[in-house]
Amino acid sequence: MFETDMLFAIALFSIGLFGVTSNKDFLRIFFSLEMLINAVILMLASSAHYLGLSQNLPLAYMLIILATLEAGVGILIFAAANKFTHSVVPDEIDHEGSK
Amino acid sequence: MNIVILTIVLALAIASLNLKKSIAALISFALMMLVLGIYYISLDEKLLGLFQIFVYTGGIGVLMLFGITLIGVEFPITKKNPWTAFISFLFFVLVVVFGLKNHILLVAHHPEIVESKELFANSYSDFVIIFALIGSSLLYATIKMINVLNPKRKKNV
Repeated sequence: MFETDMLFAIALFSIGLFGVTSNKDFLRIFFSLEMLINAVILMLASSAHYLGLSQNLPLAYMLIILATLEAGVGILIFAAANKFTHSVVPDEIDHEGSK
Repeated sequence: MNIVILTIVLALAIASLNLKKSIAALISFALMMLVLGIYYISLDEKLLGLFQIFVYTGGIGVLMLFGITLIGVEFPITKKNPWTAFISFLFFVLVVVFGLKNHILLVAHHPEIVESKELFANSYSDFVIIFALIGSSLLYATIKMINVLNPKRKKNV
């Protein structure tokens, strides 16, 4: 059912939201961001299947490409921050950099 | 069957955020996306499922492996904010109550809304332009970040 899929997608989005706000290391923040995007893709796919909104599928493909790009940029920022501050926690970057 | 697959997805998502070993967390995260891809295939969206498995899971998996080489075998111990779980749960309840309930009532009272495919099609070109702009700006940020990573590049090489 469409409503069941939506319910699980909202639950996945909530888990991702919890991960983004509660975790403080880069990698788990990336995991959580990908969960947010996966929840949106799940909503698009289920609406395409159950409601016949097949126009949503190209948006889902674009979202996948965008999420991969976003992860690439994020990992590069992580690598740059780690190179200069030797920290894997975003909150510590400012303190480490100011020394 | 759908409920079983999606419950596995949620369990793997929670596991990937709570496991202390980074490689175990990455494996559960990749499994989560793999199961989602299998779910899309079961929904008859075969291309989206294959795209999810090969492009998304593969690409993100390799990128996160690179992150694990920097982070180490175990995640660092950090303080967790206790109120974030409450806020996430509140978000879930609010969206379900006001969003999903309204959708069910809307479809029950106005079934013709589900058939109106123009709702999305009218704004589709705007989405394409916005996503192209975001994608190109991300690519530009990637190139700039590569320059930041190599600040001491020699000119006469």
